[in-house]
Amino acid sequence: MKQRQPRQNYLGAGGWVWAGKYKLERYLYLLHRVTGLGLLLFGIIHLIMTTFFRIQGQDVWESTIAVLHNPVFKVGAYMVVVAFVFHALNGLRLILQEFGFTLGRPIPPVYPYKDALRKKRPWAVIIIAVVGILAVVFLYDFISGGW
Amino acid sequence: MRTTRFHLLHILAGVLIAVLLGIHMVRLHLDAILEFFGVDSEDPTSWTSMIDRASQGIWAALYIALLAVALYHALYGLRGIILELTPSAKAGRVVTWSFIIIGIVVFGWSAYVPLHLLSS
Repeated sequence: MKQRQPRQNYLGAGGWVWAGKYKLERYLYLLHRVTGLGLLLFGIIHLIMTTFFRIQGQDVWESTIAVLHNPVFKVGAYMVVVAFVFHALNGLRLILQEFGFTLGRPIPPVYPYKDALRKKRPWAVIIIAVVGILAVVFLYDFISGGW
Repeated sequence: MRTTRFHLLHILAGVLIAVLLGIHMVRLHLDAILEFFGVDSEDPTSWTSMIDRASQGIWAALYIALLAVALYHALYGLRGIILELTPSAKAGRVVTWSFIIIGIVVFGWSAYVPLHLLSS
């Protein structure tokens, strides 16, 4: 018997960005994916630095760190921190949703009712606010010299 | 059922990363704020500070645990993104097995380094 193929993803990667009118949560999903891929890219660079370079001793380590103190890498490191904070908090929101904690009580759909997206909306706003606050805290630390 | 379990593991790994990477980030990045609370002010990226941490078993354990969960979370996440583009079943299996092999090799090498530094 011929194996049934799964339904094709007609929009491909383009559908991540646009497939009609998107709401706030849908853009958080896109940002979650972008930050995830960014963190993976950073992880590869970070592992190369902390294994291949670190194992070669003090001189190689110090010259690597000197390269990383370059402003371009500092800005990159700050973006990694913010991406991690966003990915972690948005991930927490997704976990809460997946296990049904943010959906509210089931109620009969009598007009005017709140749809599921509006019930969950405060959580999206809260995580954006917390990410913003933490981004400022980390920015203070980066500007004040440490990193 | 098997897929659900791997997905649950992905979620669990995510929570563990938030904790372990949180510790790592605060130690390495928030030194100006840590200094305010009285933690040593040495640059955490200096060789002496790094070797000091690398010689402590607790840090080595933290890093290896973080490596394991982060690798799983990252590779499973990337696999999910690739499979979302609906490749053929055979191509999907190639992706899955490539990631398993890549994960094992990267874990082996990257866990060896902190263990090597711990013993040296």
